[in-house]
Amino acid sequence: MKISRQGTAAAPVPKQMQRSKLRREIARHRSVYVLALIPLIYYIIFKYVPIWNSQIAFKDFMAIDGVLGSPWIGLENFRTFINSFYFWSLIRNTVMYSVGKLLISLPLSVILAIAIYECTRPGLRKVVQTLAYLPHFLSWVIMYGILLALLAPGDGVFNDVIELCGGKAVDFLSNTKTFPWVVLISDAWKEMGWSAIIFIAALMGIDVSLFEAAMVEGANSWQRVRYITLPAIAPVIVTVLILKLGTILDAGFNQIFMLYSPQVYAVGDIIDTWVYRQGLLEFEFGLATAVGLFKGVFGMFLVLFANWLSRKLTDSSLF
Amino acid sequence: MKALRNIMIAMLIALAVLPLAAGGSKEAAAASGDGPVTIELWFGAAMTEAGMVPDDWVGYDIIRDKLGIDLKLTMLPSNESDQDVKIQAAGAGNALPDIFMVRRPVLVNLVKQGLVSPVDDCFDKMPHRTELLYDKDAKAHATVNGHIYGFPSPGMIVRNEGLLVRKDWLDKLGLSVPTTTEEFLEVARAFTFEDPDGNGVNDTYGYGAFIEIESNLKGYPGSRLWPIMGAFGVEGLWSLKSGEEGLNIYKPEFYDFMVFLKGMCDEGIIDPNWLSYKKDDFRAAWKQGRFGMMYEQNAAYAATSNYAPFDKNFPDGEWIVIDAIKGPEGKAAIGAYDMNYRIYAVSRKAADAGKLDKICELLEWMSSDEGYYLLGWGVEGVNYVLDEDGIPVAGDLGDMAFTGSKGQVYTQLRNLVFYNGDVELASRYPTYITEVSKKEMSALKTLREMQAMTWTNAIGSGNLPTPNADVKRFYEQTLGEFLTGARPLNEGTWQEFIDGFNAIGGKAWNDEGVAYMTENGLLHD
Repeated sequence: MKISRQGTAAAPVPKQMQRSKLRREIARHRSVYVLALIPLIYYIIFKYVPIWNSQIAFKDFMAIDGVLGSPWIGLENFRTFINSFYFWSLIRNTVMYSVGKLLISLPLSVILAIAIYECTRPGLRKVVQTLAYLPHFLSWVIMYGILLALLAPGDGVFNDVIELCGGKAVDFLSNTKTFPWVVLISDAWKEMGWSAIIFIAALMGIDVSLFEAAMVEGANSWQRVRYITLPAIAPVIVTVLILKLGTILDAGFNQIFMLYSPQVYAVGDIIDTWVYRQGLLEFEFGLATAVGLFKGVFGMFLVLFANWLSRKLTDSSLF
Repeated sequence: MKALRNIMIAMLIALAVLPLAAGGSKEAAAASGDGPVTIELWFGAAMTEAGMVPDDWVGYDIIRDKLGIDLKLTMLPSNESDQDVKIQAAGAGNALPDIFMVRRPVLVNLVKQGLVSPVDDCFDKMPHRTELLYDKDAKAHATVNGHIYGFPSPGMIVRNEGLLVRKDWLDKLGLSVPTTTEEFLEVARAFTFEDPDGNGVNDTYGYGAFIEIESNLKGYPGSRLWPIMGAFGVEGLWSLKSGEEGLNIYKPEFYDFMVFLKGMCDEGIIDPNWLSYKKDDFRAAWKQGRFGMMYEQNAAYAATSNYAPFDKNFPDGEWIVIDAIKGPEGKAAIGAYDMNYRIYAVSRKAADAGKLDKICELLEWMSSDEGYYLLGWGVEGVNYVLDEDGIPVAGDLGDMAFTGSKGQVYTQLRNLVFYNGDVELASRYPTYITEVSKKEMSALKTLREMQAMTWTNAIGSGNLPTPNADVKRFYEQTLGEFLTGARPLNEGTWQEFIDGFNAIGGKAWNDEGVAYMTENGLLHD
């Protein structure tokens, strides 16, 4: 039984009245509901209906027989993936890039957001913000061209500088030691500005009087960031972190596919590139779906775990 | 409220029904026999970057009026991997078009899935086209389990690549054309360290390349190294020579080649960017004068627009086609060649809908005089004129000519009718005078020079089995690591590589390939 704010027992509301109230509410906000309908339909068609097809992960999928007609093979597709010669190498590389990107990109995005927020010159702020967003809109094909111009061993800008300083040119893109760093840093460079948007939005929501009070109390810039800004955006950071953990096994197919080559397969081949070669190019759609399912379930458990951990440690969680 | 609910319901119903209605109408038209039959064709465009065949192309009307076919065209991506993915994704959804271009490895997958129709009986229904395009070898290329599963027309011209060297650099440094691996190294060193372009900067290299590989003919490190591999007798992924049949990787000479190539890398006489270059980067590099020897395709080197940047940058520059260099044991080859075919397969769905006869009718018309010239060059007087020898040429037709920026889109389907005949080659590769240096150039002359060089017969490679992703990765990754130095290259580590390769499935792949060669009579002396 519900307890009213006055502490007395509330009389139960008849169902009929509840329904008519709901209808009135919907009618009053109908434009909002119509707007919500579009993404809802999108999610139903493109996200929920395909879940039905994920059963081919457990089937020897034959396109001519369709999803229902293909024979069940149990966990065979999962076994094929797990018994793959490079399974652990794929897992290691995928997690390395996912976690690496999280560790590098997330703090950089937060720092960039704070720097932009703290900047007192509106003109400079706009220029920095625009320049930081810009790489996000470049495809990885173009980014590869830029990286080649910067990093090529023969005439790349970086190697010119290295040689000028008496060093030996490094083939950054074909060297197993340098390739992971190229992936991580180029991703941070490309996406840092875009990822900072959400943090800038969170910063905009901080009560300005807090900063004014701190300044009156003599707090310097660093102290204001440490004691006001960071705690204020901590829930957003946690939310972003939790959401990113859900896609921990998505290490960035487009980027890796463009940048990697056989010379760096050892550190460049990730689950998605393997699925592309073994699943899609070899017409093993059941296998590709099994790996997708594996990634999804793994990601979901990570999200649940991270949410629980965050609630325990910081009292802040997504749900 | 009621209105809102009705709108929502109507939208949901529309979303659910529209795709069904769209799919249903097409099948209905085919089955009914009333009105034109819709044929959906996914084709490999002559120049993807030029754009789609325009809606005002006269071919649509001719095909509808004469053949009763409503032709729906879709251009496939230019990249082979993207083509494969598009077709396999459509196959997975049992949504293949009626007729589509497909590579053999993908075709084999589609046959296993039962998604394509055999076309053994179709060739008699199009006698003219069959005589022009579909000989015994071609049919063999589209044969899987004893049935022909597509129409295999001649693809790219074979033996159209060659070893080129900067003659102006040779002359400046007083060097002769290299004929052996020793001389090749000497020239490469001179091109790297003796400032052949005379600009006073150490910015040139002996040899330029990039990794160009695929699963049948061009094994790692790819065809751009073939002239060097040829000197060791290991050009091409497979050897189809009797007594040496199997993967070339098993030959001891492959190790010698790797040592030779690694030496070039260590010495810095091969452009150090070669492992990172994509095709376009490589082509930009030779046009900027970065290296003095390379392996290039005839038209990519000598066609008007491709040669123009080099001509502008180096009016005194000159490349010449040279023959294969001899290795330590006297072996030499420019490369390995297989016959190229473009297979057009018919989906099972289309055959079941009774469209096979119409497809045959369409293809036969394409190879008629009317279809051949319309698809090959466009409309006479609008897109081409005939010269005194009866060769279609651009004449004064400007942008609308088949070579012009507006006219070339009307010939996007030409690969469906071309068979590399004399008229086509003379028209495609006209002799011209370069704009800056006023040199006479001809991609056709270059082609003939390249074809006259020493080549290795690897016909049938395209039909051989392909490895699974793990075997392929092991093969390519390990060779790559030898070249970059990530893995030391010596006889011990090489043997470890071969052992590992055998263990992961390389031996089984090799045995399967050898069995196929033997059973299908692909071996030769």
